[in-house]
Amino acid sequence: MIYFQVLANGLILGGLYACVAVGFSLVWGVLNVINILHGTFVVLGAYIAYFGYVHLGIHPFLSIFIAGGLLYGIGYVIQAGLVNRVVAAPVLITLTLTFGLDLILNNSMIVAFSADYRQVNLANPLPALMLGPVFLPGDRVAAMILAFLLTALLWRVLRDSRIGRAIVAVRMDREAASLMGVDVGRINAVTFGIGALMAGAAGALLSIIYPISPITAPIYLGKAFIVCVIGGLGSVPGAMIGGLALGIVESFGAYWFGPEHALTLSFLLLLVLLFVRPGGILGKKGYE
Amino acid sequence: MPHFLIRAAAIAATLSLPTGMAFAQEAIRIGAPLPLTGPLSPEGLKQQRGYDLWAEKVNEAGGIQVGNQQHPVEIIYVDYASNTPRAVQTAERLITEEEVNFLFSPFGSGAAKAASSVSERYGIPTVAATASSEQVYDQGYEYLFGTFTPNSTLTEPLADIVTGANADVTRVAILARNDLFPLAIAEEMERSAQSRDLEVVMFERYAIGTMDHSAAVTQMRAAEPDWIFATGYINDLSLIRRQISDQGLDPAVITMIAGPAYREFIEATGDLANGVSSAAWWHPAVRYEGEDIFGSTVAFNEAWEAKYGAEADYAEASAAAAGAILQLAIEQAGSLEPGAVRDALASLDVETFYGHVNFGETGQITTLEPPVFQIQGGRPMVVYPEAIKQSDFVFGD
Repeated sequence: MIYFQVLANGLILGGLYACVAVGFSLVWGVLNVINILHGTFVVLGAYIAYFGYVHLGIHPFLSIFIAGGLLYGIGYVIQAGLVNRVVAAPVLITLTLTFGLDLILNNSMIVAFSADYRQVNLANPLPALMLGPVFLPGDRVAAMILAFLLTALLWRVLRDSRIGRAIVAVRMDREAASLMGVDVGRINAVTFGIGALMAGAAGALLSIIYPISPITAPIYLGKAFIVCVIGGLGSVPGAMIGGLALGIVESFGAYWFGPEHALTLSFLLLLVLLFVRPGGILGKKGYE
Repeated sequence: MPHFLIRAAAIAATLSLPTGMAFAQEAIRIGAPLPLTGPLSPEGLKQQRGYDLWAEKVNEAGGIQVGNQQHPVEIIYVDYASNTPRAVQTAERLITEEEVNFLFSPFGSGAAKAASSVSERYGIPTVAATASSEQVYDQGYEYLFGTFTPNSTLTEPLADIVTGANADVTRVAILARNDLFPLAIAEEMERSAQSRDLEVVMFERYAIGTMDHSAAVTQMRAAEPDWIFATGYINDLSLIRRQISDQGLDPAVITMIAGPAYREFIEATGDLANGVSSAAWWHPAVRYEGEDIFGSTVAFNEAWEAKYGAEADYAEASAAAAGAILQLAIEQAGSLEPGAVRDALASLDVETFYGHVNFGETGQITTLEPPVFQIQGGRPMVVYPEAIKQSDFVFGD
């Protein structure tokens, strides 16, 4: 059955979308900051994995830790040093700030790495799995599974760790959290750092799948946007469901109506949801 | 722009220079709006490399001979950030404010067509180095000249080679980027296939910026093609190539335009690049002797290697050729007067390192014989035309 293949394609794609979007969703939901830098963070993670593999022979899957760690540091510094100064301002101000920072970082990457496309070519790629008539590309499936694990890990951290509860508390009520002794400024920086960490880790995973270039950053940002609106802001399960829904809609849409309409369909879905469920499929309840 | 203004500017420029110097001729100014940043920047930078090499050669030789004087050339680059409307504004600004004598078109068929109306209005001879679609040249414009032959000159020899060598190839699946050139050449391929009684079992377009082709490839798998023909640019095609093998598809022929001619494509796809066929307007393996500043393809290749440490691809060579051709026309005209140079371009009939140059009625070059090649052992090997063939076409299983 060809539909199983189409479904499998959609699930794999959706898992990757979820991983790209979850950090963006977290930052938007907790800090009320629309982080335009997110797409560029993803690409930076991919570059770290690329250079790690080409020059040092580090497998891109291991680079998740390196890219995640570096991006966490960058994210923390950006929030603590810059965004925190205007974090209470209307959302347009923070959006403009991250937009400006994105122009600087993205163009610096073009200067440093050029806009040429690069790709990680694994010396020993995983073979494709065949489940009856369904082909599952090995590396993509592995990347998707890791993406799910990472996302699940983030969910556990938010639910069960002290810092995670503090983040959720800030998301629920900034003032109340502050009164309870939560250092809101630091939690903001940690949250932004985690958002960047997830972007960097997603980038490392994607480096074995997609061509890498600074100019692909807006594409990742656009996907993250749609996933957040579909799934609901600031919740890990929301990003997960939003990502999977987007992947499946795109996959079936492209199969039924032709690939050039896949994008149109995902935006139609976005519009419909904005009318029917403006809070996303999971709404605003699922804080974790 | 009215001619007297250019003259006035030229006189003013001459007067301001100290007289009596041997190298006192003012430079010939050529405007080059290019996408140096943004999604098309890899292509824009290729064009810039081509123009730069040509300008360097010209200035090393003392300049372009105009009548009994030598003029150095100066190329004025303006980045239009891959934004076509801005390319048109930039072209106009180059003509009115920078007062350029000539123009090189922005990248690709779409932008070249859009900007050509500006240079036509001001009567500035314009050479398009990377515009192949016939729709660019069908506007009756007199000042636009292009160095790529029409798209059909790529698909026809390809279809001949494939059908001539393998009668089992009967089913063609076409996947095209929904963009002026990639779509135009895909439609040309459809015509070339149908005229040879090949069955086009799939024809789909994908949107610009598509990040996943698995649905299209699944559709392809269902259509069971012997020949996959995909169009787009390097990033699209390397992704499509990978996804074709992800789903276990292994047709007899995979053709991709335009990307495989660039080393970036081979680097990005690794082993999967092998067996991919393509066609382009030029290839470093062609061998021509020319009257242009480079003299021959061999000499051009050497000059390129010396400056950039790599082989030139067709877009880079075409940009260098655009300069060399403009130079020949200026020398023949013996003047910088735009009308005279335009007439010289229109009547040009010369050999160059890039091939025989003669612009047809519409201004598009008609005399190139685009080579067909296939990537074998990580290198693009010419399989057609016979005269410069490096290898035989190899079919997949």
